[in-house]
Amino acid sequence: MITLKNIYKEYPIDGEDVFVALHDISLTIKRGEFSSLIGPSGSGKSTLMHIIGLLDKPTRGDILIEGKNILEHNDDKLSSLRNEFVGFVFQQFNLINKLTILENILLPTTYTRKKLAYDPTKKAMEIMDRFGIASKANSYPNRISGGQQQRVAIARSLIMSPSLILADEPTGNLDSKTGKEIMKLLAQLNKEDTITVLIVTHEQAIAQQTQRKIHIIDGGIIV
Amino acid sequence: MGFIRSAFFDFSRNKGRTFLTSLGILIGVLAVVLLTAFGLGLKATIEKQFEDLGTNIIRIVPGQILKNGNFSNTSSAFTSIKFDEKDVQKLSRIRKIENIVPVYSKTVTATVGNIKKPSTLYASTAGIFTALNIKADYGKLFTESDINKRSKVIVIGPNLAKDLFISEKKAVGKSVKFEGHKYTVIGVASKKGGGFGGPDFDSFTYMPYKTAYTFNTNKTFMAIILQTKEDQDIKPVIRQVEKQLLKRYEEEEFSVIQQEELLSAINSIFSIVNTVLVAIAAISLIVGGVGIMNIMYVTVTERIKEIGIRRALGARKSDILFQFLVASVILSLIGGFAGLGLSTIIVFFIQPYFPAYINVESVLLAIGVSSGIGVIFGVFPAKKAADLSPIDAIRYE
Repeated sequence: MITLKNIYKEYPIDGEDVFVALHDISLTIKRGEFSSLIGPSGSGKSTLMHIIGLLDKPTRGDILIEGKNILEHNDDKLSSLRNEFVGFVFQQFNLINKLTILENILLPTTYTRKKLAYDPTKKAMEIMDRFGIASKANSYPNRISGGQQQRVAIARSLIMSPSLILADEPTGNLDSKTGKEIMKLLAQLNKEDTITVLIVTHEQAIAQQTQRKIHIIDGGIIV
Repeated sequence: MGFIRSAFFDFSRNKGRTFLTSLGILIGVLAVVLLTAFGLGLKATIEKQFEDLGTNIIRIVPGQILKNGNFSNTSSAFTSIKFDEKDVQKLSRIRKIENIVPVYSKTVTATVGNIKKPSTLYASTAGIFTALNIKADYGKLFTESDINKRSKVIVIGPNLAKDLFISEKKAVGKSVKFEGHKYTVIGVASKKGGGFGGPDFDSFTYMPYKTAYTFNTNKTFMAIILQTKEDQDIKPVIRQVEKQLLKRYEEEEFSVIQQEELLSAINSIFSIVNTVLVAIAAISLIVGGVGIMNIMYVTVTERIKEIGIRRALGARKSDILFQFLVASVILSLIGGFAGLGLSTIIVFFIQPYFPAYINVESVLLAIGVSSGIGVIFGVFPAKKAADLSPIDAIRYE
C-alpha cells in the first residue's frame, strides 16, 4: 500500500553541518497490516511517521502510495491525500478545544474537495456510538477524560474512511487500563474494518500487541 | 464549524482585545461617515436655497467669477468695476427680462437701545422680493413709491426681528438704527432658512436702494440680479446682456452667471473640500488597519498548534489563509458597523441643529472600506499562518 525507498531526512545545523535524522530507510507497509514502529527517544520514529503521514517530506528518497510517487505532488494535492488517505492519532490527542466533540470529529470533512457518499454527521454519530462517546457529542474536549479524548481523536481519524491510521504514542498520555482499551480499539479497527494501522511507540508492551514490529534506532531500520 | 463562528468564538474570548482593535476602525469610520454626512447636509441646504430662488435668475457681478465652470482664481474678481443706475437703465431695454434688481450690499450693525446685532443689508428695488421669493409675514414690503420718496423704511428677516424685538410681530413700526440713521421697520420677511455656508436671509435687512444713497454715496451696486419668465430660454438673454455690458466694460470686468452655473461651481468646490477632509479622516482607518494587522499576527502565534492540527487533517494553505482573512475582515467589520451605528446616533441627535444626513452610499462605503481594510491588513498575517510548516506547527507548544 505504501512503500518508502531509500529515505533520508537531514536537517542543516549551523550552516554547513547536517543532522541525519533518517538514513536509507526502505520499508513497505501492506494493506491490512497492524504494525508498530518501535524505538527509543530520538531514534527518528516520529520523523519517519510524519514522512509516512505526508506531513513532512524526506530530503531524499521516494514514497510510493499504490505505486505512485507522491513526492511529485504539490502541497494542495498532498493535503488532499492526507485528508483522505491518512488518519492521525496523537499522544496529546490534538483536539481543538473551542470545537465540540462532534465538530472535532467532523473537522476533516470540512477540508475535503470530493463529494462525500455519506452523511458525515450521521457517520460521526455512528462512530461515537460505537466508541461509547455519543453522549459527549456536544461537550468540549476539556470537559471529558483523557481516554474519551483519545477515542474522539480515533473517531476523527476514521471520519474520512482512511486506508491508514498512524497513531503516535496513542497510549502515552493514558493510564494503563485506558491505554489497553485504546489498543484494543485500534486492533478492532484493523481486524473488523481492515484498516491498516501503524503505531509509533517506545514501549515494548505496546509493540507486542501488534502483528509486525519495525525497529528503528539512530535513524535506521533494523531488519 | 464555520470560519465565521470560529472567529466570533475567538473574539468573544478576548472581548477587551477585540474592542480595542476594532476601536481604530470605529474611529476612522465615524470620522469619515460624519464628515460625509455634514458635507451632504450642507450641500443639500445650499442646493435648496438655490432651488428656492428659481432657475430663471441671472446674476451680473464684477470681475471674472467663473472660468470654465469653476470659480476663477484671478484677482480681477476682487478689483474691478461696480455697476450704477446707467447699467440698470440699459439692461431694462432687453425685452425678455421681467425684473431688474440692482443690489448694494453692506454688513451693518443694527442697533435697538442696547441691543446690537450684525446684519447683511441689501439695498435694492422692490423687485428683490420677487427675485428672492420673499413675502411679508408681518407688516408689508417696501414699494417703488418708497424708493422714489427715499423713505427711511426697512424690511427685516424674522431672526433679526426676534433678536432685536423678541417677537416678529412687535418689530413692525419700530425703529432700528444703523450707519448713524434711524429706519422704521415696515415689514418682517417670511422665514427662508439658510446659513451653514449659504446666505442667512432670515437675518437680512432690505432697504430701498435710493434710501441707501445716504451712505452709498457713489451710488453704485455690487451686483444686478435679472429675472426672466419661468419658461424662458435663458441663454439668448445672457448673450444679449453680455452684448449690452460689453459696450461699457471689458470682457474680464464682469460676469453674467446663470443660477445653475453658480450652483455647479459651489458644488465643485464643496466636493473638493469634502474629499480632502474625508481623506484626512481616512488616515485613522489606516492606523486602525495596522492595529488589526498587529492583533492578527498575535492571533496566528496563539493558534500555531491549531493550524498544525488543521493542516494534519487535510487543510490546504488556502483554507488556513481564508480562515484568518475571514477573522480579520470580521474584526474590521465589527469596528465598521460600530462606527456606522455611532455616526447614525450622532447624526440623529445633531439633525435639529445641523442639516446632516447619512446616505446609502456612505453606508456602503463604510462597510466596503472596513472589509477592504480587513483584507489588506489581514492578508500578511493570514499568509504567515498558511505558510507555516505543518510539522513545525503541530509540534509548537
